[in-house]
Amino acid sequence: MSSAEESTPDNDQPLDTNILREINKKALVDALNTVNGAKTLVLDPNLAGPLSLVTDVALLKHHGVDKMFWLEAGPLSLATPNVVYLCRPKIKYVKMIADHVKRHAKESLRYNYTILLVPRTSTLVSRLLEEEGVLGDVTISSYNLQLIPLTGDVVSMEYESAFKDIWVDGDETVIYDFAQALITLQKMFGTFPRMLGKGDHAARLIKLVETYLPQTRSISTSDTLSGLSDKIDSLVVLDRRVDMITPLLTQLTYEGLIDELIGIRNSHVELPVSLISPPPNAGITSSSGPSTTPTTSTSNTLRKESKKKYHLSPTDTLFTDLRDLNFSFVGKKLNQVAHRLDEDYKASRQAKTIPQLRDVVGKLGGLQSEHQSLRIHTGLSELLVPMTRTEQFNKSLEIQQNLLASYNISEQLTAIEDLIAQGAEMELVVRLACLASITAGGIKAKVLENIKREILQTYGYNFLPLLLSLSAPSLAILLPNPPPTSHPDLAAAAKYPFNSLRKSLRLLIEDDPESLNEVENDISYVYSGWAPISIRLVQCVAQKGGVLSNPAETGNQADGKGGRGEKVQAHPIIGWKGFEDILALIPGRTVDVDMNVASAGGLISRPAGKTTTTVVCFLGGCTYTEIAALRWVSKQNKGRRFLIVTTGIVNGLSIIDGISGVQKSVTSKDAGL
Amino acid sequence: MPEHPTATWQAMQDGNVFYRRQQLYSFPAGKLPDLSDYIVAGCKYGGPLALMRNNTKLIALGRSTPAFTKSQIQVYSSAGEGLLLFSWEQAKIIRFGWTFDERLVVLNEEGTYRIYDLQGDYQQHSLGGETAESGVVDARIHENGLVALAGSLSLLEVKGWEGGRPLNLANPGLSEPPSSWSIIPPDINISRHIEVLLSVDNTIYTVDNLESIDQRLSQGPFTHVSPSPNGKSLALLTFSGTLLVVSTDFQRRMAEFDTATVSHAEGQAQQVEWCGNDAILVTWESIAVLVGPFADTLEYSYLGNIFAVTEADGVRVVSQDTCDLIQKVPSSSLSIFRPGSSSPAAILYDVWESFSRRSPKADESIRSIRPELAAAVDGCIDAAGQEWEPYWQRRLLNAAKFGRGFLDFYNPTDFVNMGQTLKVLNAVRYFEIGIPLTYAQYSYTSPSHLVSRLTARNMHLLALRISTFLSLKADVVLKHWASAKILRSKPTTTGSGKDAELGADDEVCAMIVDKFKTLGGTDVSYAEIAKRAWEVGRTGLATKLLDHESRASDQVPLLLSMKEDHLALEKAVDSGDTDLIYQVLLHLHKHLTLGTFFRLIEDGGARLAPASRLLQVYAREQNRDMLRDFYYSDDRRVESAVLALDEASKMSDPASKISAVKSAQKFFSEDRDRGFEAKMMDENARLLTLQQQLEAEADGKISFFGLSVNETIRVCILNGMLKRADKLKTDFKVSDKRFWYIKLYALTEIRDFEGLEAFSKSKRSPIGYEPFVRHLVEKKRLKEAVPYVARCDPPKRVDLYVRCEEWRMAGKECKDRGDKGNLQQLIQKAPNSLVARELEQVASSMK
Repeated sequence: MSSAEESTPDNDQPLDTNILREINKKALVDALNTVNGAKTLVLDPNLAGPLSLVTDVALLKHHGVDKMFWLEAGPLSLATPNVVYLCRPKIKYVKMIADHVKRHAKESLRYNYTILLVPRTSTLVSRLLEEEGVLGDVTISSYNLQLIPLTGDVVSMEYESAFKDIWVDGDETVIYDFAQALITLQKMFGTFPRMLGKGDHAARLIKLVETYLPQTRSISTSDTLSGLSDKIDSLVVLDRRVDMITPLLTQLTYEGLIDELIGIRNSHVELPVSLISPPPNAGITSSSGPSTTPTTSTSNTLRKESKKKYHLSPTDTLFTDLRDLNFSFVGKKLNQVAHRLDEDYKASRQAKTIPQLRDVVGKLGGLQSEHQSLRIHTGLSELLVPMTRTEQFNKSLEIQQNLLASYNISEQLTAIEDLIAQGAEMELVVRLACLASITAGGIKAKVLENIKREILQTYGYNFLPLLLSLSAPSLAILLPNPPPTSHPDLAAAAKYPFNSLRKSLRLLIEDDPESLNEVENDISYVYSGWAPISIRLVQCVAQKGGVLSNPAETGNQADGKGGRGEKVQAHPIIGWKGFEDILALIPGRTVDVDMNVASAGGLISRPAGKTTTTVVCFLGGCTYTEIAALRWVSKQNKGRRFLIVTTGIVNGLSIIDGISGVQKSVTSKDAGL
Repeated sequence: MPEHPTATWQAMQDGNVFYRRQQLYSFPAGKLPDLSDYIVAGCKYGGPLALMRNNTKLIALGRSTPAFTKSQIQVYSSAGEGLLLFSWEQAKIIRFGWTFDERLVVLNEEGTYRIYDLQGDYQQHSLGGETAESGVVDARIHENGLVALAGSLSLLEVKGWEGGRPLNLANPGLSEPPSSWSIIPPDINISRHIEVLLSVDNTIYTVDNLESIDQRLSQGPFTHVSPSPNGKSLALLTFSGTLLVVSTDFQRRMAEFDTATVSHAEGQAQQVEWCGNDAILVTWESIAVLVGPFADTLEYSYLGNIFAVTEADGVRVVSQDTCDLIQKVPSSSLSIFRPGSSSPAAILYDVWESFSRRSPKADESIRSIRPELAAAVDGCIDAAGQEWEPYWQRRLLNAAKFGRGFLDFYNPTDFVNMGQTLKVLNAVRYFEIGIPLTYAQYSYTSPSHLVSRLTARNMHLLALRISTFLSLKADVVLKHWASAKILRSKPTTTGSGKDAELGADDEVCAMIVDKFKTLGGTDVSYAEIAKRAWEVGRTGLATKLLDHESRASDQVPLLLSMKEDHLALEKAVDSGDTDLIYQVLLHLHKHLTLGTFFRLIEDGGARLAPASRLLQVYAREQNRDMLRDFYYSDDRRVESAVLALDEASKMSDPASKISAVKSAQKFFSEDRDRGFEAKMMDENARLLTLQQQLEAEADGKISFFGLSVNETIRVCILNGMLKRADKLKTDFKVSDKRFWYIKLYALTEIRDFEGLEAFSKSKRSPIGYEPFVRHLVEKKRLKEAVPYVARCDPPKRVDLYVRCEEWRMAGKECKDRGDKGNLQQLIQKAPNSLVARELEQVASSMK
């Protein structure tokens, strides 16, 4: 249905995010070409995923990359005179590089070392190299990898540790880099006419983007192109801290559930080889591209487990139809598609005349790839179904729903304790405990202590720092009730106005499962009856009616099928107007910068009916459900698209793991399946 | 009326080619010193001359020139105005010359070179190691670099003027210095690399960075080697006075001329310079001879010694009382003013003159050139650019304007531009400015080059006006002006003490800011100007100026060098640029004592909190000792404890791990609110000790150390240490429920089903028996699971039996409970007909 939606005869093209990919690709090629001759590429393992969305091995080879290695501790033996390190400016990587250089020097081997830092050079790195005494031997340069398009409407920095960096370590590098990326976006599409934000760090981000402006303007005084954008109507920035509930819940859309249960990394999911490529059809998937797998020990172990990375590609039309559905309807949809395909095949067999045959041959390739993708997604959902049938999974959903409804909280806490006793996954337990703390405004001190103690004894005392981080003022999502008096800022942070938000933002939709059908009658469908606060806040800006009542419902009453013609024109952006009181309740600063006012006379009058894009920016990451919900919102009105810009894709698991510092890669998670 | 343009023309080649000697400036004799006593270097593009006394020549004291003993370099403009005078304290000067941006490069015999601007400020660089030992014998300086002949007779090239490392050229293998030599600069050489031409014995060696080639000439040795402006021809003068012209690839010999035939020339020729690309000017004292391509000559006589500077479009000759430009008459001028010329442009000019005399001939004539009128207009415009006198410029432009009136479509851009350009050129040619720039030179060097030349002379007003007139950005001028302003406006002495200085600072700062604002110099970097102020010791002013800088990345480095540590850190934090914050932190960490450093950050409070957190991120990975001190000095118990724990997690040695955990416990216990954490760490330490004991008991065969409480109990059960497991349960107050799950899982894992049976009966299960069934089913132990079903809640039994695949039991259960509906469902779900039939029997028996 979404494909039909996209083919509306709308002459306004969506923002072309592919330019970003091309920019990234060109920057990489340029950076590689600064080093002459054959080179060995040593890659930061965390960059491999993002890079695979930008380039492929063939391109690297074409630009002189002879061999590739992961950047890891230990010796490095080289066959080329040039080595290019591609990594983020992390201290541990610098140490590894310095170690390589020193080892080679000891063996009196001479190489040309080039370090390409992502996204920019760093004083810290050169200082550390100086301390290690190898600064003179290396050339430091940068590769400005910024926003990577994941799909047409989602671009991401693919920063894995953004959430932890900001809210646990207080390292604001991500915010600065993110601001630079947004500025790049402005250079491409024009200045954001209005910037709205919620949350202290969102405010900081907007401030950085805003203060950059005067300089750009003065440089190109005569350049009229750098004025306000006529394609983008506003930028809405939400920092993750504003809505911590959403990532703590279990995502119930197809893509969200894959992420929760199997894990999606940089748009790739690891699946059993048998599922992806049965021998005869192998050629088809390779075009959609398994990612770059540098020849290293890691990829070898992957092969042993016979798992393969599969790109959940936006060009897979079946997947784009499925990804945002509530999982309970995925089976039905797959069934429909299977029937249709079957009929198409049958039709093709009945072709008799030459023109018919030509028609069939033309369609055949499409049918085959569709068939292939149908097989994969059927297999994938078959993998998911048993995981959603487990006692624990259902128990945790029940606890979530009850907590959201504030139903018998003490019973839910007991249920959480039971889950610990059963040895449920640490992340699951912590997610539920945090959810309980936020929704109930803290957990009774004694009960909380008991839960913490159970957690420490069950999973290990080394999780104490994790628990401390969760209750630290910057996060404050696992707090005792009443909050400790010694920290006044904690007490303030604890006052998340859950109950009043639930009412005023219409978060909990009490509907019977019957109406929760394919109409997807509210964004709450992504959590089977719970609307993500973050998206409600976006609606406060971009679809004010949608906060108060369901736009789809009214459309349906008029016409059973909710025809396209009746869609309401999206209202212009007028800031938070009408919801100021609600926003004031939520901790964190509220920002509204109107560039129309700031740049006198630069007001662009938009012709009515023209489609504009609202850029929604998640600082600290967003979930697949939030993306799905936003897509749903954009379908309800005509005249407004959303472009989602995020530091990365997160879920509760990745957030908790990130804070605890336990490196759980997708591989190890899969090993347990 | 100034004399007619043709008055300065002289014919050559039987009247086909004309050369003109345009007097640019005349000045009283004696304004310039006698050039014969000096070594001179002239700057192209109408630039100044640099003079240094030639120590090899005897000089009579008491002559009109000032006597001095020290090395001194004087710089005069082309109009004879003194621009700069400085003395040289270092080792003997070998060579000096001009850069493209009109700075004077002075190289001494030790290989040190300085680059002076016209204000006498300089940067010093060195040629480095090799020349420091062997010294420099000679050098050639071109606009963008130099080539030095080292004492070892090898050649070194320096590219650019940023103090780059000299590169060795191919070694020509000389045994003595060449009798003369020259270079072809990279920008006019075909290979785009520099080429050195050495006159050795009777031949010429060409040397570049790859090889040295003997060109096998036989007329040498040569006293002068001079490449043409386009780098394609080479003029060579032998000791006997024969002038040879060859192509630079030495394949063609173009001309030969015997200078001995010049009647008035006496002694050795002084200079061999090119005039354009096809004529050569050879100079002797008070005479210059222009030799054309067919060995025709023109003689020019002067008063006293002369110095010639090759320009792109001619040659500039400076004598005692005049500065001339000798050049081939440009074609556009020639076509208009050549006697008897009937070119359209000449006719147009003629028509215009007739018209201004109100002669009726005008109309008729203009009709005759109608088809070529556009070209004629262009010709007049171009010719205007070639004239020195504004009178003739104006006349030619008027002619062009007149002709334009007869054209339907004509793009006026060229006309307007020429008008503007001439206005600018006339302004800078004025003798007080003294830049005799021709139109061709101006087009080549660009307007902004001219503006920067003016600013370098501190002629800010003119530079600014020209910038505005040509709509160029005024930033460069403003920046230079501000720097000069700061230098000049030394704090006044009229006020008293500090107040006066502050007042002056405010005044200067306000003046600069005001000027920038009104002139729109928004791109000017205040930081650069502030740096200048700081360099001359005006810290207060520097700080004030820095406040206006909007780019933190520019502010911070200067603030750091000004020791404004706190301010620098604040600005860095405000910028949000973490790299900048690191830059400051690392700098401060290096330059301050640890205590001061910490205090600076801690006292910063919330404002500097991001810096404090970044420091922690950095120190956690790179400098843990510092982090420990930092936490300790700030009484951060929790952070100290977490740090201790983090270290414990990385330790493998049991004893040190335990002591790290204990120290964490101690830190927690010092914080009133952290009782729980302290207790937990106490437990942790106890557990670790216990695990050590357990390992000892098991003779190290089982590893316990570092496991969680649950896992420890589990491993105990797995290894049959049930007593131990029970003790752990009581010691660590493990809840019944959790203990039962652990034991259930562990016993299943080792398949001790009897043990499990006994355990399940040891007391009433706190977790019920459903988990038993479910877990056993999950582990595919269906048979073992069945007995527990009967002990579960009755309503769940049917389902649980089904899970154990005990359909009959499930049916029986239904029967017992009289639940027909459920039984029917069972029949539907039955895996095979046999089961279904059995179930149907049960169903029928219920009736």
